Amino acid sequence: TVYDQWFVTLFNIVYTSLPVLAMGIFDQDVSDQTSMDYPQLYEPGQLNLLFNKRRFFICVAHGIYTSLALFFIPYGSFYNVAGEDGQHIADYQSFAVTMATSLVIVVSVQIALDTSYWTVVNHVFIWGSVATYFSILLAMHSNGIFGIFPRQFPFVAVASVMPVVTFRFLRMCLYPSLSDQIRRWQKAQRKERPIRSRKPQIRRSSSRRSGYAFAHQEGYGELITSGKNMRAKSPAPTSGLEKTLYNNASWIENLCKKTADVVSGFSHDKTVK
Amino acid sequence: MTWSASARGAHQPDNTAFTQQRLPAWQPLLSAGITLPLFFCAGLAFIGLGLGLFYSSNGIKELEYDYTGNPGTGNCSLCAAEGQGRAPPPNCSCAWYFSLPELFPGPVYLYYELSNFYQNNRRYGVSRDDAQLSGLASALRHPANECAPYQYSATGLPIAPCGAIANSLFNDSFSLWHQRQPGGSYVEVPLDRTAIAWWTDYHVKFRNPPLVNGSLALAFRGTAPPPNWHRPVYELSPDPNNTGFINQDFVVWMRTAALPTFRKLYARIRQGNYSAGLPRGAYRVNITYNYPVSAFGGHKLIILSNISWMGGKNPFLGIAYLVVGSLCILMGFVMLVVYIRYQDQDDDDNDDE
Repeated sequence: TVYDQWFVTLFNIVYTSLPVLAMGIFDQDVSDQTSMDYPQLYEPGQLNLLFNKRRFFICVAHGIYTSLALFFIPYGSFYNVAGEDGQHIADYQSFAVTMATSLVIVVSVQIALDTSYWTVVNHVFIWGSVATYFSILLAMHSNGIFGIFPRQFPFVAVASVMPVVTFRFLRMCLYPSLSDQIRRWQKAQRKERPIRSRKPQIRRSSSRRSGYAFAHQEGYGELITSGKNMRAKSPAPTSGLEKTLYNNASWIENLCKKTADVVSGFSHDKTVK
Repeated sequence: MTWSASARGAHQPDNTAFTQQRLPAWQPLLSAGITLPLFFCAGLAFIGLGLGLFYSSNGIKELEYDYTGNPGTGNCSLCAAEGQGRAPPPNCSCAWYFSLPELFPGPVYLYYELSNFYQNNRRYGVSRDDAQLSGLASALRHPANECAPYQYSATGLPIAPCGAIANSLFNDSFSLWHQRQPGGSYVEVPLDRTAIAWWTDYHVKFRNPPLVNGSLALAFRGTAPPPNWHRPVYELSPDPNNTGFINQDFVVWMRTAALPTFRKLYARIRQGNYSAGLPRGAYRVNITYNYPVSAFGGHKLIILSNISWMGGKNPFLGIAYLVVGSLCILMGFVMLVVYIRYQDQDDDDNDDE
């Protein structure tokens, strides 16, 4: 096996568990206030869009690509190589250490890409894991290795991570999701605070009208399913964000109509029986 | 917002920044302003580095000669035929003649390369006793169990050094002769056989056991050499700093290679008249053919090479950097086009309303 046995043991425990834990606890894509303002944000979760079979296989394919890059790039570099002093450096220990270091760096960079809410704890866990890896490496191996391969690590990390960054950027440009747009709007809002703060007020009032989750009396259900409150009585949306919400709203309207038809179909059956 | 304003209950969570997830945080957004410059800068840096590595690798000169002795390939085939797959008789020697049309810039390094030799085989790779090799007197006569079947000799003596790696020590030797004038005599080129192993291996990891009455042979009394060796370990070299476990060839061999085709350093040529390189002329390499490789279909090569700042001749990394750099720049342009069109589309839609 290529990897040092201690590396395999420590990999799951020390090097990679903490950043994932920190991301699971602290990650937020939009603030809690904004989550309440835009309940449409919860739809991808309800419709199982974020973790389904297609996503899983994309994840597997990404893992396969990364592992191929992580093996074959050091393999090609080590083939018939010699060190700066002519010494034999294509030995088993160096090869294992090169691959292991590239792996830890790639994994940390990947989770850094996925983290969208960087608290202090996230920073400490992610950079700390990489630093822990290097200190354990230093403690376990002799000093022959460290001067030799600084050239390769940035290459492997970049070669693995660049395609991911490309896909994410293109997806955000061409098919932005609602949460991406809200994040962009949030960021813009923080920059131009006095001018923009009025617009959210308008949106909040309309969502209060459709806030059926907090209704104290019945009757809003029909209002929602008829879609009346969602039609543009307000002036045509001018910003991209509102326009997309508007488009989403009409899509929701169609979905609600379909659900209402199904529901009324069932109740009709019941009355017949 | 219509929260019920009840009094603070017993199970209500604390209203601190940590528990209510209000910690101050940085929220990066993968926007064009970050991604596009990143891709272009990375692409340019990689292309620069790739060009540097590629040209540096191309500038390295290398001479190699396969002296396995397959039939019809020079006079080493006689040595190989004599052995018939088992170890050839000791001191069978053959020669390689070559000539250099111009100066081979130095310092020049002499390597031997083996192919189809799996030093990374798991069972082979663990067959060693590092405690014995570090000179511990207690471990010298009690080799570890991983060394089996090279742990105790047929007569019951412990083997020092034990294990399959030590047993398969490469024992060919080379000498280089230079003929300055055509038809003249050959002069030996001095080969520097010191410091070919890693510093830490030679000084820290491998130590001889403590001398007994000032003699290394007595320190190894009661042990046997590995079955394939012609000489015991304390007679590997007349130099007392290079014999026993700290013999440089032995230490280089014990550092197992990662891939089945590997080369190991044999000597450096950097002394006397040859410190600037090998001048033009005719050369002869005398090879003492001891190591059998035909049993496993391997090949033996001898290689003369010089070195640059990035190591030996290896164009792979240079080409890989160039490819990835150009892909980065290409993708950067694609994303730039997509971004500009998306911006225009967004502005147009806004204008239409």
